[in-house]
Amino acid sequence: MKFQIEDVTVYFPYDNIYPEQYAYMVELKRALDAKGHCLLEMPTGTGKTIALLSLITSYALSKPSNPIKFIYCTRTVHEMEKTLSELKLLHNYQLQHLGPAAKILALGLSSRKNLCINPTVVSAENRDSVDAACRKLTASWVRELAAENPRIPTCSFFENYEKSASEAILPPGVYTLQDLRAYGKLKGWCPYFLARHMVQLANVVVYSYQYLLDPKVAGIISKEMQRESVVVFDEAHNIDNVCIEALSVSVRMQTLEGATRNINRMSQEIDRFKATDAGRLRAEYNRLVEGLALRGDLPASDAWLANPALPNDILKEAVPGNIRRAEHFLSVLRRLVQYIRGRLQTENVEKEGPVAFVASVNTQAGIDQKMLRFCYDRLHSLMLTLEISDTDEFLHIQTICDFATLVGTYTRGFSIIIEPFDERMPHIPDPVLQLCCHDASLAIKPVFERFQSVVITSGTLSPIDLYPRLLNFNPVVSRSFTMSLTRDCICPMVLTRGSDQLPVSTKYDLRSDPGVEKNYGKLLLEMVSVVPDGIVCFFVSYSYMDGIVNSWHETGLLKEIMQHKLVFIETQDVVETTLALDNYRKACDCGRGAVFFSVARGKVAEGIDFDRHYGRLVIMFGVPFQYTLSRILLARLEYLRDTFQIKEGDFLTFDALRQAAQCVGRVIRSKADYGMMIFADKRYSRHDKRSKLPGWILSHLRDAHLNLSTDMAAHIAREGIKEEGSQMIIKVAVLDLSIACDST
Amino acid sequence: MADKQQQVVVKRARHKSSVKDPGTPGVLKLTKDRFTFMPNDPSSPVKHNVEFRTIKGHKFTKDGTKQALLNLTQDQGGNYIFEFENFPDRNVCKDFVASAIALSGEAGRTVPEKSAVPIQDEQLSAAEMERRIKLLQEDSDLQKLHKQFVIGGILSEAEFWATRKKLLEQNYSRRPKQRVALKNDMWSTKPLADGQSNRVTFNLTPEIILQIFAEKPAVRQAYLNFVPNKMTEKEFWTKYSRAEYLHSTKNVIAAAAEAAEDEELAVFLKQDDMLVNEARKKIRQVDPTLDMEADEGDDYMHLPIQDHGLPRNDNKDVLDSQYEPYRRSFSQHLNQHAAVVLQGRVIDVELGDTRSVAEALARTKHAELAKDASDVYLDKERLERISRMTEIEDLQAPRDPAVAPLSIKDPRDYFDSQQANAFSTLGDTVSGAKQLKCSVSTREAYCSLKECISEIKFQGLTEPTINSEVAFKVLNGLAQNISSNKYHLGRNPNESVLDSLPKITREELLLHWSSIQELLKHFWSSYPITTKYLLTKATKLKDAMSQIYPKLQEIKESVQSDLRHQVSLLVQPMLQSCVFMDQAFCCRP
Repeated sequence: MKFQIEDVTVYFPYDNIYPEQYAYMVELKRALDAKGHCLLEMPTGTGKTIALLSLITSYALSKPSNPIKFIYCTRTVHEMEKTLSELKLLHNYQLQHLGPAAKILALGLSSRKNLCINPTVVSAENRDSVDAACRKLTASWVRELAAENPRIPTCSFFENYEKSASEAILPPGVYTLQDLRAYGKLKGWCPYFLARHMVQLANVVVYSYQYLLDPKVAGIISKEMQRESVVVFDEAHNIDNVCIEALSVSVRMQTLEGATRNINRMSQEIDRFKATDAGRLRAEYNRLVEGLALRGDLPASDAWLANPALPNDILKEAVPGNIRRAEHFLSVLRRLVQYIRGRLQTENVEKEGPVAFVASVNTQAGIDQKMLRFCYDRLHSLMLTLEISDTDEFLHIQTICDFATLVGTYTRGFSIIIEPFDERMPHIPDPVLQLCCHDASLAIKPVFERFQSVVITSGTLSPIDLYPRLLNFNPVVSRSFTMSLTRDCICPMVLTRGSDQLPVSTKYDLRSDPGVEKNYGKLLLEMVSVVPDGIVCFFVSYSYMDGIVNSWHETGLLKEIMQHKLVFIETQDVVETTLALDNYRKACDCGRGAVFFSVARGKVAEGIDFDRHYGRLVIMFGVPFQYTLSRILLARLEYLRDTFQIKEGDFLTFDALRQAAQCVGRVIRSKADYGMMIFADKRYSRHDKRSKLPGWILSHLRDAHLNLSTDMAAHIAREGIKEEGSQMIIKVAVLDLSIACDST
Repeated sequence: MADKQQQVVVKRARHKSSVKDPGTPGVLKLTKDRFTFMPNDPSSPVKHNVEFRTIKGHKFTKDGTKQALLNLTQDQGGNYIFEFENFPDRNVCKDFVASAIALSGEAGRTVPEKSAVPIQDEQLSAAEMERRIKLLQEDSDLQKLHKQFVIGGILSEAEFWATRKKLLEQNYSRRPKQRVALKNDMWSTKPLADGQSNRVTFNLTPEIILQIFAEKPAVRQAYLNFVPNKMTEKEFWTKYSRAEYLHSTKNVIAAAAEAAEDEELAVFLKQDDMLVNEARKKIRQVDPTLDMEADEGDDYMHLPIQDHGLPRNDNKDVLDSQYEPYRRSFSQHLNQHAAVVLQGRVIDVELGDTRSVAEALARTKHAELAKDASDVYLDKERLERISRMTEIEDLQAPRDPAVAPLSIKDPRDYFDSQQANAFSTLGDTVSGAKQLKCSVSTREAYCSLKECISEIKFQGLTEPTINSEVAFKVLNGLAQNISSNKYHLGRNPNESVLDSLPKITREELLLHWSSIQELLKHFWSSYPITTKYLLTKATKLKDAMSQIYPKLQEIKESVQSDLRHQVSLLVQPMLQSCVFMDQAFCCRP
């Protein structure tokens, strides 16, 4: 359908629109008009993504003189694919109505691992080895050598792409990663470099958060994006975590060992170059004297991850004299590694600020703050000079230099925590040094500054006033929408007691109580026998899930559950989890029915939808609090209290409840959908916990459903399913009748 | 028919005078009209040369039981028992014998009449013949009809099957054989330990072995490699059980130590490399909107400790990397098990023979993986599914009516109920149909339906078009009406009047009912009667019908008085149709 919002004609690919979608678009349009940032919460299941896409593309179409670029950030690659396929639908619709004027170029961007089509490269195991394998074939020095010696292998796709030079462009259209690979294969061009090149020209770019938030990646991918862009962070309820992770580094013993190996290897290389090609090292030295840490015009294939510090904080001056010579730099690195190793030998947990740490590095290892700050750039320059292609081997030294640069750059919002062992396993020495960022606003600040509109949106952003404080920005629009419903398509319940009327909880003292485990098992058993198709269960952690599933297995409960449905489980191995999910869907499709065990805050909870028959019921076992004994969390809480006056308890509850809401929100995708939600923990019945749930869940939570036991919940579920079933029958009956009418 | 007579089956078998008899080994040769048995030892007196004409029936043991037996019963009461080396052999002979018996039965009687038939008896291929025989075997009602009419000489073979062309086609080519699914039961290694000694017992059945092979390709491979060259089957399973026991104790170090000493045991204890490879291949087929592996490729933050506040704790075990391969998680097993169950029974081999099971599984797996690599069709299907998934169905006018393909389990039953509808409108003989005990009468239902339709036409189709009560009423009415036809015909086993009748009477009634249907079908299909052939056919049909008439009357009178009314209601339409047919025949132009 086509309609006006003020001066913009909006093309919406469906015949009908939900009222909240329209309201959402109106608010969004105002924010775009004001060229400001906005914060929008809209429940899942109301078609947020398509509303967003269709308004922003229509907005761009209505202003052809001043085209805005649209940068859409997703948390995961599969969400990227989903978004792109929605965009495809929209684009087709716009083409139908506007003709060629509506043509846009939209593409997804991912790493080489997901885009490479060179079979020898892509068969490598992880991203780093794919990157390195690619570099071995495409680095400028390798290609120079190959030009003389045809026996040195190169990548034909990259060579073709380079040869076509300016002709290598993507025609307008919407390209998923799969489409990019197919196009690359067709033309014989490297899809990765093609996509990276086209990102600058495209109207719509879809990529992962990190391509904007992580300075290491953003520095090479996103630095040339124009100011007239609209940046959208979808499913952004975790954005503060992504921001602080982008600026955090951890160093373990293995890192130090690897770094030492790297340093030795580099020193051998230096010796070799001194013997064969001393001019090269001298040239580097001269360049550094002139103040150029890096040659400006690096070919794309040589580019490595960029500086971990934020662009504004990077010093624009010459590398200090005492690390200009390669040997000197290496000895500085050696001293740094030695110093960190000494610190890791501690017996107690240590916590200090960056200033104190830098001071102690200076006194004990003789490395001053400025040298630390330049570590990363100096290393990068050295590796290019030494023509090192197998970058995956050098990750350890890179981590050390990231750490050094960050710790040398920032004085507040960070702390350094050294733990000699894991709190839960004190007998196992596993020392780790962590540089943790506590201030989420740091990483996102350049994004707010650089782009005219940043949209932060998700199904769960409550309390909505907390986010501007955490991220330190002033939204021009900040709104939370409720869901307009013609019928109850969600049915949330709070289960506080098991079938034996004893309370259930994952609270620390009740967690491993066999009675609670049994009650949880009984609950699931009741549900699998009542609810058709798919059921999703979320647990509070992997260890808890493993424990409880094992205990169900031992007591025979699991066997009984399996008589009703197939059981799949999320593991920490993504390949296995992906296959399990795929099978889960198949089982739901064919009517066999299945249960999926998953972990709140895990990868599945973050981005997989369990809509329609893939999830008729979701059970949240327990309240997914963070691991509260973690030093990092404690340090962050302290920082939040000191700077934002946010109470620890409030933040923890807020964080746990947003995760729980996120988990249960996975079951619903449109209003035609139906899903039940069970919050199985007695703590949910308390007002202070429950009230943190988003409004669209609370408004459906009846008072009678606040304090249920297993049998009552089973009864409600049975009734709910029955009612839903009769609705379905009516729908089918109406359809049948309409066909009958048509044919008579 | 000359070409069919040349068809010969020759199999090794033992002839037995009784089931317990060890039997005489020899060769069984089957031709279309007779079977011969020649013992290997020419001096043995056991020689047979019997015509199928004298054979009345055959019995056989179930697949997977101890012996592959085939028992041919003679008219005079004698029987021939053959034991075969394996079930496939037996089944070939069984099928052949079945067709031969059926044919020889017909051949004896129908052949003389066939000379009068102008329609050329189609030359049947062997496959066609087999198909028919199979149908007859599967469906006892059909068999009865066949016996009554074809063998009884009223209809010719071709005529009989002409009305069932669809059944033949559908039956064979499209409907896949229904298979029993795998049991969703994990073979948990709960060892049966007796309190005193250190002995631990495991139970293995062929079903469990199949499951183990399907879930653990490495074990399957090991079986194919080791048995019987390196060790016996028993040793193999003992070793396997030992490994499972070690796993169940969760003592990784002990497992590693034992594996170091015994390389065969190590195969079971280590992680299954084949599974890992398989997963690697399968992951490329996965729906990209699910593919979490791709995320790894985009994750530039190597921060294992801080996964959104989720503590990671499993990788901090004390264990050295040398023990790593011996660790196996229960979750992995769980997923693999569910995947196998979901896939169902992929092979079609008797479970008794472990080796052939292993080989068959290995073959199917291999074929499956080879196929995957270049399946464009799958790709397309996947894309289609994604685009369908992305649409918000709620906001869109429905593209197609949301209907699932109708899967009719018993086509005959369905056909009957359809026929019955036609039947009742055709002759309007079912006057009794209206006095049914349903809550809404047909008329009421129809009115309500009409109302709804006009309402929809008026309002368009928005969500709550009709209130649920009305919809329910309509549905009930419609459903009742359909089922009432069934009810009337006594095909509904639950609430039928027929249930109250004695079993013999009921069966007789049903038989008559289906014979009348059959006769009527043929009768009307021969109209208009233009040729002499059709006339003779119609006469024959009419005669057959008139034979049924007194039988029905007899049934009607024989039942107890309290049931008589209902039975007469049932019989009424049948009788009327007899009369009606008679009249129609007499009044023909």
